[in-house]
Amino acid sequence: MRAIGSGAHMVTGAALSYPQPREDRDNREFLAAWQEGRLLVQACGGCGRSFFYPRTLCPYCWSQNVQFEEIDGKGEVVSFSLVHRPNHPAFLGDIPIVLAEIRLSADLTLIARIVGTSPEAMRSSLPVELVPANEAARYPLPTFRPRAS
Amino acid sequence: VDAEAIGIIGYGQSVYLKRTERTLFSLLAEAARGALATAGLRKDAIDGLAVASFELSPDNAVTLAEQFGLTLSWAYLGTAGGAGPVASVINAARAIATGHAGAVLCLAGDNYDVAGHYRLMDNFNRALTNYVTPHGFGGANGLFAIVQRKHMETYGTERAQLGRIAVGQRASAMVNDNALLRTPLGLADYLDARVIADPLRLYDCVLPCAGAEAVVIAPLDRAPAAKCVRILSGYERHNHPPHEPLPLRGGWELFRDDLYRDAGCGPAEMDFVQAYDDYPIMVAIQLEDLGFCNKGEVGAFLARHTFAWDGTFPLNTGGGQLSCGQAGAGGGMIGLVEAVRQLRGEAGARQVGKARRGLVSGYGMVGYGKGLSASSVILERAS
Repeated sequence: MRAIGSGAHMVTGAALSYPQPREDRDNREFLAAWQEGRLLVQACGGCGRSFFYPRTLCPYCWSQNVQFEEIDGKGEVVSFSLVHRPNHPAFLGDIPIVLAEIRLSADLTLIARIVGTSPEAMRSSLPVELVPANEAARYPLPTFRPRAS
Repeated sequence: VDAEAIGIIGYGQSVYLKRTERTLFSLLAEAARGALATAGLRKDAIDGLAVASFELSPDNAVTLAEQFGLTLSWAYLGTAGGAGPVASVINAARAIATGHAGAVLCLAGDNYDVAGHYRLMDNFNRALTNYVTPHGFGGANGLFAIVQRKHMETYGTERAQLGRIAVGQRASAMVNDNALLRTPLGLADYLDARVIADPLRLYDCVLPCAGAEAVVIAPLDRAPAAKCVRILSGYERHNHPPHEPLPLRGGWELFRDDLYRDAGCGPAEMDFVQAYDDYPIMVAIQLEDLGFCNKGEVGAFLARHTFAWDGTFPLNTGGGQLSCGQAGAGGGMIGLVEAVRQLRGEAGARQVGKARRGLVSGYGMVGYGKGLSASSVILERAS
């Protein structure tokens, strides 16, 4: 993990790469799919629930029969914040960061960034979708944009 | 030992500093010496040690015993972030009740600053590191800003209501020489402060700093009754609700009824509350979950009370983390130490007139969106 040093603030955000997730056996498939713009969540073969973030077992029933499945990534904003003081200088060129809780289905929400919007246009219940596949690799994790409703 | 005959007999606090060359051990030692002095105990009376600290690693409770020259029969390393110190007191009392220790020193503290806070949060646990840090979440601020907006939009809670917490606590801090932020703070200052993570502004957020806190848990016959504080009840819960990233509630709602039942008194009988104040919105949620008002009605509750030490609802009477600074995991013990100070009648210029009984609440260990841990104790003066 990159340390926040005083010298790093002299560099523009665009020159730094975003902090990256640590790849492991449990999340490798999910991270690789996102590089192609696809969102995978895990579905449990035991209880039928879906969940995020990637785990080694189903957090509802402890079944190990969990499979990644692709979902369309269409959802709506539950709530959000506009982050003016990001945790890493790589984001300084992007402030405010729009950080949101996004509902993907009745019992599945995740925390993600929304891009391609202005702070003034943000509101709760805003429909969102994944950024296009050709932009996905710029972002370490599934990232959303407003959806034309 | 009868559990009801075990309590808190000493308390200590280091100086709070925005930045220091001093070591974490030095800060913990300062708080520890104060706690032993107020307990009237010698160092060799301590055979149990609990410590909560984010920056202690690679050290731990046992290596701290070596540093401090203690031989222990019981050692406890807090794992519940800002809920850990209150949980450590609950567990220390049980250790004494079951004969595992005779007197336990509970410590909490850290030595960090704003950059240190970001480093800590970026690497707090795998879920945050892998699935939140890469979004540029702005540390805990970005997450609790979402919680606050959700509370405002769900229940109509207003910033002008939440601000009364920060304003009241600042008034208490102005008579606390160890608070780092002691300049007057009015509601307009709170409302108009610079944006950190909308809707959070500057005075919603704590100042990461260096400091440490300590208490001594022991059978109450080890100290004069006037110096003793009973632990009437205590509970902790971790990961509730289990599958919601950003809930408007926490573990308190699960144990609230047991907490008051065991104590034999209810929220109306508390003379003060020391709630975990990483953000006013989380204080507000604790007040709801702990039954001071109904869920969703905290806005009106905040509007009709004042929160300074001499207010209608004395809250975080030393100024809390919002005005003293957040000494890392020490933020989970600052309210406990302040409660003991108040119950012993030793709070000086901020002494609550009728301080017979109070509630102390902890919260922390931010995982994927929420503080995972909640803890609370109800304390009462023994004399």
